[in-house]
Formats: sequence, C-alpha cells, structure tokens
Amino acid sequence: MSVEVEWRDYDVVVVGSGGAGSIAARAAAEDGASVLVVSKDPIACSDTKISEGIATVRESGSGDDSEETLSENLRIAGGDLPAQEVTDAFASDSKTAYDTVRQYGLRPEIDADRQGPQSLPLPLGGHTRRRSVGHINSGIAFGHANWQAVVGEARIDYLEDAWFLDLAETNGVVSGGLIYDAARGVLVAVRAPSVVIAAGGLSTLFFPKTDTMRGNTGDSYAIAARAGADLVDMEQIQFLPFCLASPPSYEGLLCGEPVMASFLGVLRDNNGKVILDGVYLRTRAECSSAIMRAVEDGRGSPNGGAFLDMTANKTPPKSGPYFMKFVETVLPSAFRNARQALGKEAATCEIPWEVRPAAHYHMGGIRTDEHCASIGGNDGATMEGVTGLFAAGQAMGGVFGANRLGSTSLTEGAVFGIRSGQAAARHARSKSVADDEVLNGLIERTQARFGQKGDRSATQIKMELQKACWDLIGPVRTAERLDEIDSKLDGWAEELDRVVIPTYGTWNQAFLEYEELRNMLDTARAVAAAARERDGSLGGHVRLDKSEISAFSWPYSTMVRRGDNGQMTARRIERPRTPLRQLISYKLKEAWRKAQVKMLHLMPAEMQDRKLEARYKAIMGAGDKAPEVYPGSPDAAIADGKQA
Amino acid sequence: MKVEIVLTRDGDQQVVSYDYQRREPKERPMVLDVLLQAQATTIPDLAFRYGCRARNCGVCTIDINGKPRIACRARAREGDRLEPVSTLPVLGDLVVRRDGVARQLRGRLPVAAQGNDLNVEAPQAYHELTACIECYACLTGCPMHARNGENADPGAGYEFGNPFSLLKLQRARLDPLGSSQSREQALKSAVELGLSSCVDCPGCKCGVGIDLKNLVVSELLTAAGDRLPEPSDLSEETA
Repeated sequence: MSVEVEWRDYDVVVVGSGGAGSIAARAAAEDGASVLVVSKDPIACSDTKISEGIATVRESGSGDDSEETLSENLRIAGGDLPAQEVTDAFASDSKTAYDTVRQYGLRPEIDADRQGPQSLPLPLGGHTRRRSVGHINSGIAFGHANWQAVVGEARIDYLEDAWFLDLAETNGVVSGGLIYDAARGVLVAVRAPSVVIAAGGLSTLFFPKTDTMRGNTGDSYAIAARAGADLVDMEQIQFLPFCLASPPSYEGLLCGEPVMASFLGVLRDNNGKVILDGVYLRTRAECSSAIMRAVEDGRGSPNGGAFLDMTANKTPPKSGPYFMKFVETVLPSAFRNARQALGKEAATCEIPWEVRPAAHYHMGGIRTDEHCASIGGNDGATMEGVTGLFAAGQAMGGVFGANRLGSTSLTEGAVFGIRSGQAAARHARSKSVADDEVLNGLIERTQARFGQKGDRSATQIKMELQKACWDLIGPVRTAERLDEIDSKLDGWAEELDRVVIPTYGTWNQAFLEYEELRNMLDTARAVAAAARERDGSLGGHVRLDKSEISAFSWPYSTMVRRGDNGQMTARRIERPRTPLRQLISYKLKEAWRKAQVKMLHLMPAEMQDRKLEARYKAIMGAGDKAPEVYPGSPDAAIADGKQA
Repeated sequence: MKVEIVLTRDGDQQVVSYDYQRREPKERPMVLDVLLQAQATTIPDLAFRYGCRARNCGVCTIDINGKPRIACRARAREGDRLEPVSTLPVLGDLVVRRDGVARQLRGRLPVAAQGNDLNVEAPQAYHELTACIECYACLTGCPMHARNGENADPGAGYEFGNPFSLLKLQRARLDPLGSSQSREQALKSAVELGLSSCVDCPGCKCGVGIDLKNLVVSELLTAAGDRLPEPSDLSEETA
C-alpha cells in the first residue's frame, strides 16, 4: 500500500522554523495570510539557537550611526558583491526587526542613557560603529523568541518532523509543494501561491568538519534550484580556520580565532616548521589556506590540520600572565571547547593545539530582490525569477557577498524574515490558480520511492559525499578538483535509484536520508559550478591554482541555474565597485599593521616583553579581562576588515 | 565497547548489540559518537535525532540505562542500553514524537502587550529560565505528564502539563512586558494543565541544571494558592 496523501490549502507555506522562518511565518500571519510552517527539526531548533546570540542593531551604540554607514559596511566587507538594494534593506530595518523579536520575549540588557539595547563596548571588526548587542544565554534566548513567534500564534499551523520535498512549479510560477510528514507517515500536498524558503545552509556537506546544526543539508538551495531559481555567490562558504580536529566527539567545534593567537602565536606544520606568523593579523582565509597547503604537501598534523602554537606568548615573565588572561576571556565558549577537548596542558598553552578549518556559514544563496522575491536576469536588467518563491536567512543570497560582518546573521534572519513573510502574504492576495497536475506528478514520483529496491544506502553515499566535498570544494579548491567532484556527483546521482527504501510510512529514515542526499548533491553541484566561474581567490573562496582577485578589479557575482538535465550552468553579473579612494585607504591600513608585526619581532626579548605588557594592559583595561570577540566576525581576524 | 540499542521499525521492536570501535586508543566516546558509527557501519538507517553536538540544541535526548541523557555530551560505557525516552511515543528507533508538548501551550501563552516600552530589563529569574534548551529530560518521573496516559494524541497537544510547559508559563509571568491579565492567564493555564500534581511531588530534574523546583514549581504553587483542586477532587478526576 502506498503512503497516504493529505491535501491542504494555504496562502503561505514557510519552510524552516529558525531565525528567519519563524519570523516570516508570524509576519505573514499578522498580515492576514493562512500560514503553514514546515520544519524537519523541532520548532526553532536551528543555527540561530546554537549561535553566540549577538545581533546587529543600528544606532544601539552611538548617535552618529546611520543606514548609509551600515549598508556601506556590509558591501565593503562583502567585496562589493552584495546588492545595494538588499544591504540598504538590512540597514533600514535592523532596528525595527530587532524590536519585533523583542515582542516575542527577547530581553536584552538596557542602556539607560540611550534607552535602548546595550551594545558591546567595541565595534566588531568591519563595523565602523558600535552596534552589536549580546544576550544572556546566547542564541538560546533567540531560540525561545522564535519558538514563541510560531507556537504563540494560534493562526499559524505547523508541522515539525516534516520534510518539504519539492516545489510545485509550472512555467516559472509556484503553486505549492509536497511535504513528507514523518511523524504521521503521510505525504501532505499543499496548494499555496507563496512559498518562503528559510531552511538554512549547506555546512553539513562538510560534516563532521562544521560547527553548525546537522540539518544544513543544502535543502534551501536544492529545492529552489530544482524549481528553476537563480542562485548567487554559491562559491562563498565561510570556513572558520581554528576548529577542533580531535577527539572525534569534538571534531569541527570552534576552538579559536586568529585574534586569539595574540602577538606571538604562529601556525606550525607536523615537522614543527612555522607555516604562518603574525597569525593574529591574518584573515581566516589566509589561516585556512596556510593549514590546507601544509596538508596538501604531506606536512599536515595527524588529523589533517596544523598546530596553533601560542606557547611563545606565555613564556615572557611580564606579558605572559596577561596573555593567559587574554586567551581565557577573549572567546570564552571557544576556549571551553579547547579545554574540554585538548586537556589541561593545551588550555595552559604549554603545548600547541591541533586545529583544522570547519564550515560555518553560507554567504551565497537564492537570488532575491530586497523583498526576498526570487529574481533572475543579467547585467543591468533584473527580471522576475520564480513567481511566488521567497527566501530569507541563510537560504537567501546577496546580503553578504564574499565575507560576512560579525553579528549580522541573527539580524538578517529577523529583517528578511519579516520582509519575506509580508511579501509572501501580499503575493498570495493576488492568487493564482493551483496546478494539481504538477502536485500529482510529484506525489506519484515520491510514492514510488517507498519500497525502492537496490544495493546502496543513502547514509553511506552521504558520507562519501561529505568526504569528497571537503577534499574538492572545501576550504581550498583547484580546477582539477572541481572536475573531479562533478564526475563523482554524476556517479552518485545515478546511484540514487539504487538506494534501498522500505515501504513503511512513519519515520522512514532511509527515505529521509535519500531526500537529504538528493539535496546535498544538487547543492554541491551548484557550489562547484560557481567555484569554477570564480577563477581566483576571493573571500571565502580559495583557489590553489589561481591568484588572489585584486580589490581594484571590477567586482562580479556568480549566478548558477539548474538546467533540465540536472547540470548547473554559471554566469557572471557585474557589481558596482567601491570608490578607489576608500580602497587605497584600506590597503594602506593593512600594510601598516603588517609592518608593526615585523618591528615587534626585531626587538630584543626584554624590550618586547615590556612592550607587550603595555599592550595587553591597554586591551584589557582595569578588569584584567579581554573584550569578548564574536566568533566568525572580521574582528576575530582583524585583517578581514580589508577590502577582499 | 559493546552497547545495546533498542530499535523500532514500522512498530516492531528489537534489541541489537553494537560493538563500538575506538577511533583513538584512549578515546572516551560520547553516546552520540556510538550512534553515528553504528549508522555508518552495521545499522545504516538507524534513526536518532541530533543537531549541534555541543549541548545547545536540545534534540538528541535519549534514555541511557533508563535515564534521560543528552547523547552528545554523555560518555558511553560498556554495556550501556540505549533506547528512546520512555515519556513520549516512539516514531522510529530512538526518535520520539515531541510536538505534543509544545502544542499544549497553543493559545495559552500571553502576547507581550502592544505599545509597551520595550526598554525594560527582565529579572534574573527570567534569564535563568531562558537557559532551557527544550531537551525534555524533565518529563521523566513527572506525575503530571504521566496523567496523559499512553494513548494521548500528541497532534492535539497533551492535556496535562510537565516541567517544561510550567517553565514557559512561569517565564511569561516574569516577563516585565507582560500585563496583569497575561500573568493571570499564565497562572490559570498552569492550574488547568494539572499543577495540583506538583503538590506532593518531591520535585523535577532538569537536563541542563535549572532549579525547576524553586524557580518554577514553588512559585506557581504559591501564586495559585487555594485555586488548586482539593486532593479529593483530584482523585475523582484521575479515577
């Protein structure tokens, strides 16, 4: 007997219930739309919930902040890849969107003078103003607010343990989609004129070399691409360089950032040779690529990384004790991971730490306008994309380009959650006719998968794929590797029909694995296509066989679209460049910082020690505590503030 | 290292043994590592939940030797018995259906009053309750949750509450942006969900160490006072 089908009608379907999806659903419901939330994980159990919980709130820290400044900060950090309409929208709504999350129970500390949320004492790197707000309980506080946005609103229907499989789309128009509700063991066919995709990122392509939620199987991008949507900047994946490589239970979790290495920290290969000095001033990409180049060369550490050696910071009699306080307080949660995983000797910096990069965030995604609606088109002429398709959060591209400013992703979820929910509700009012024929086709194909015979397990293909993604489209890439991943992806795509899937409906794990694998394959293909089109290193994309793309060249974004044959084709869209004067000033600042490191190293030991003591005192102030740095922020790697 | 895993597929239950192969000589794996390796080798479609691997997301709770534990941060030991939590219906292998818990709070959670000044700080206790990661370990041993019986329909939301739902209601009462009306509504909901079960209960156990008894249950019991049904009414109700 085949899995049963239930039919439903809604104005808006929201896929995902994290920082973007929950807010989108609530916004659409408040606009009067009937809403269904589809979430494969329990409501609000997302990357937002496990994040550091720091959000960008315009004007929270200084009176001279403005929409223009914030929008420009985003574009410069992103290597001019972000679309200005989109960064303007982020800047314009960042305050009101944050207040919306507060309506659902997020309670920050209050700055009595400014009568607003208390911002962190320093601007996070890349931000030119103080505007990052931290929260007690980190991301969990946002998790509660997101949960409240969905569960607390009786007008929203929701399904958890439910996988949104595919959009129903005819001639570029969405008419709903098909859902597998694993808890009840039924397929749910939904007729809906608007679908918001907010199903997170793709870091699980690199599992276990990631610090994010398991569910990031690229669902957002694959579902949109299969319906014919444009994906933008898909090569831009943010890897954090200093994550744990062992013990296995801690693999992938964050243990440090370049800034933590402090003045004398270096990276060493397996032979003890220095492969990168001045680590604290390096970008994350520079650190990752130094580590991965050593690994390539057969000089990697036992678990495929390198050694972060901070011992030299500790030895000097005067500055050493200050360094220890600095390292313990600058990134408390990362330091805790290191202490638990690597032991006491490592925590006291008596031995080097084994580190390896891990995937953290995807900057690219579904190409949309500032109202989160899918768009297409080429240079100078954007066109409507897939009508009725909207995206928000990590699913959406075009906000951050080649690099993401610290503390922006939680705000991104709220800003574009609200915008997508409202736009989806608005679109639903101009209802189009449902196309049951397309849905019936999807149902038939899906039902046929239950009971599929074969000799392959999707879990096992997934693991092969994850290993290949790390090696071939991970923190370092070459043209040859991109060819290799394509041919492997072709092979696995053929094997999809040989995956064994039992017939039963309730929580059919083999079917779930099959569906997630299908999404991972399409997403990996899109990343590979964009990575080939971007033929030089830029931001989160490092090509071993090509040079760095100069900040002075004309910026472009990569666009990827899926053809009927399942292959992805890439093209370029030109972006406007930041004025030359600003670029030159960035370059000069960078050169000056590097010169300072050189001078420090040339000093006699005693003088160096005194000099460092003074600098630690200046950083930590009277409290003997370093100002906390947000993991992944350009402040964590100071040099990331530069133009890419 | 050998462990036992209780599997449920399509309603049929069986207990299988799995021999964990240490990846490093001195490895002390977490239970989640054991499950991942079993899935990667001899039990390909082993069903279990996990998310962040760092005790933040709250979804990987299972029973280890009969007690609820967060699998990503529970060390595995020789002979461990791994099974789904006993307090919720099993969907497949170690996966239970969770949504009946949150659904019981639909329409019961007050909304922050519109137009309030948002710039008011919450009391310390509000933040202490916000530390809840929703792991549902607290359902184990809860007499109120037990009143739902085994055949309750999660899709409709459970009739009787549990420490988690009480935590959410007490948190709403502590919210400085709430109104006296919303606080009253939260208290009324706690009583309706069966707060009277807490009267003679020695207390509940939180998976992440929140003092549920003092911060949640005692506060609600005190506030409810004589609104709780008499013990005699209660026995009639459950009879």
